[in-house]
Amino acid sequence: MRKLGVQTQNAVADADPRAGFARLRDAGFDCADFSLHSYLLNKDIYQQEINPFFDQSVAALEDFFAPHREAAAAAGVTISQMHMPYPIYVPKGNAELNRYLWHEVAPKSLRLCAFFGCRYIVVHGFKLARFLGSEEAEWQHTEAFLEYLAPMAKEMGITVCIENLYDGIAGHLVEGPCCDAVKCAERIDRLNEKYRAEVLGFCFDTGHANLLGIDPGRFLRTLGHRLKVLHVHDNDGVRDLHQIPFTFARTRESTTSTDWEGFLRGLREIRFPGVLSFETGPALNAFPPSLHAETLRFIARIGRYLAQRLDDAPDATPAPRD
Amino acid sequence: MNILCAPAGIVSGEYPRQGTADLARAGFSDLLLDFAAFSCSPGELEYFGRKRKIPPRRPPVSENPSLLAERTRAFLDTARAHRLRTSVARAPFLPENTKRDDLGGLLETLAAESIRAAGQAGCDFLIVKPCFAGRRRDDDGEINRAVFRRLTPLAKESGVTLLLTNQCRDMNGHLMRGLGADAEEAAAWIDRLNEAAGEERFGFAMDLGVTNLCGQNAHDFIHALGRRLKAVILSDNDGSRAASLLPFTAAFQGQSQVDWLNLFRGLRAIRFDGALILQMNDTASAFSPILRPALLALAKATADYVGWQADMENLLRKYPSRVLFGAGNMCRAYMKCYGEAYPPLFTCDNNPKTWGTEFCGLAVKPPESLRELPADTAVFICNVYYREIEEQLGAMGLKNPIEYFSDEYMPSFHFDRLEEQEANDEKARRADTKRGC
Repeated sequence: MRKLGVQTQNAVADADPRAGFARLRDAGFDCADFSLHSYLLNKDIYQQEINPFFDQSVAALEDFFAPHREAAAAAGVTISQMHMPYPIYVPKGNAELNRYLWHEVAPKSLRLCAFFGCRYIVVHGFKLARFLGSEEAEWQHTEAFLEYLAPMAKEMGITVCIENLYDGIAGHLVEGPCCDAVKCAERIDRLNEKYRAEVLGFCFDTGHANLLGIDPGRFLRTLGHRLKVLHVHDNDGVRDLHQIPFTFARTRESTTSTDWEGFLRGLREIRFPGVLSFETGPALNAFPPSLHAETLRFIARIGRYLAQRLDDAPDATPAPRD
Repeated sequence: MNILCAPAGIVSGEYPRQGTADLARAGFSDLLLDFAAFSCSPGELEYFGRKRKIPPRRPPVSENPSLLAERTRAFLDTARAHRLRTSVARAPFLPENTKRDDLGGLLETLAAESIRAAGQAGCDFLIVKPCFAGRRRDDDGEINRAVFRRLTPLAKESGVTLLLTNQCRDMNGHLMRGLGADAEEAAAWIDRLNEAAGEERFGFAMDLGVTNLCGQNAHDFIHALGRRLKAVILSDNDGSRAASLLPFTAAFQGQSQVDWLNLFRGLRAIRFDGALILQMNDTASAFSPILRPALLALAKATADYVGWQADMENLLRKYPSRVLFGAGNMCRAYMKCYGEAYPPLFTCDNNPKTWGTEFCGLAVKPPESLRELPADTAVFICNVYYREIEEQLGAMGLKNPIEYFSDEYMPSFHFDRLEEQEANDEKARRADTKRGC
């Protein structure tokens, strides 16, 4: 049976991780996407308001997260993927900030990923194309960062996953890093060949693709086996809302305005073997706390529906996981 | 670069005199011959074949395709009377939210009629949207290639180059990337069609409104098309709804919501020299007809500005030598992006304190030194007080060409920080290695 996951943000509290992971399990999730980025928020990074969380030594960080690891194990929930804090490079930030993000936050995130026994960590590419003039020039810097991580990732058996992102122009969300599946596939192959290990993979974000009108089926077909993890969530096509799938419509008929059929078709065609992981932490904010458990159950129910659609297809036997 | 205006929202097909005259008076010299506006609208096509209780006022072109050319006659006669060209035409097309995937045959017939009519009207190009616009069909590509191959002999005979274009597909009200929206794929289509035609009979018209709705990077899109790009349809929108607005008007928080930066970067990179088609029917319709002459004057100035920005590097290339006027940020931006390819002889400035100094490797001289320039050296004003400085140079009696330079849309921005950081990191790594860390 295909596994279902959800991000821990808003669902697992540091004060009582045991209750949080038990709640995920009770809702119907086997896996969790550990929201490491919630310990150093992107809005704070952009404001250069950095809290001292990642100043701690790796040992201290491991001590801090030991209860989380134990709680997940006790609940039978696997940490199947993790999100590194982002951005790791702030174009208008000072050198000290960027050095800290690159040389402290990123390697410590990798170590924590290994500590949780998690195989995949999602990172954001650098948003530099507007400064540097082209996506290729932007990628060179992202690649330098990935090359910095690659030996560590190889040693720890972790695959770093780049994600399709957006950028903003006057509030209008437009293509950001990693939105060209052809280029991404070539770059992933090149780096993996260089390191003779699967150090780089892809995280497909359904919400970001929807914002940019990307055809998910085509994109996934192009990525093929390089797709390792998912961020499944929904939005209105205008703002990155991270809401529950199937909840947006733009016509009076109220039919879904997100191409979920294309998404399923793409996953089916590439025989995606991985976890259907929901990045819907913010959706919990939309509901009163007394409904959070039901909300999580509903998300898991949608997950089971998607899993059934994937696995019931005649040619949909998941490819063996390596 | 050839600048055209699409007449939709401005010119009535039946009573075209006032609208056409307004466009001519605004300075436009070339108009889009839009069969979708004058002959057969997207709405008419969507209702094709339905029973009507109230008969139409005129026989629909969708039911009588041979009437397509006749419906443009009044417009063409008026345009000719004003000596306006129609170098580009557009064939009828379905709306983005079409529910019709049964009109392939009719669309092909209308495309054929459009080719004939465009040829007769002296058009060089006809924009033809691939069929089944907006509807997902796995065999779209193959069907369209076959359609275009069948249209090739007629296009040759009529002397018209067919331009494919990018379009959206409607996902229950959400506009996503549709046929032609993948530039690499479109380029491959065009190459195959041209190969089959044995000549360059196909090209591409990029609809900027569509790339904006799909959040696409115009630079990458244009780069993938390269020389195949023959026209750009300029229209503005908020990135969410398919409006056709005057460029720079869908603004929010003091900025345009269209990625003009990457459009200019792309057009400059391929040295674009095709047609820029201004399409602003929603803006034009929203304004009172009383204000239309003033609006169209602004529209013409805006289209000229877009053309000028796109042509910036050709302008720098045009003169055998050049000097700059201004020793500030704009001069710095010039030197960073163009200093090597188009080196200025020097720069000058009105501030006496800067005279005799050096700025970004350029000698800073007083304006009086411009009198010693060779006649064909152009003076590029690198200061936002363009008109004031131009007046100053005019008052000096300077006969050299005066041009404006703008750093609003540069190929890259001043950004050395990351390179410096990476170099420092590398240095530190080497030092660590030496120390055996």
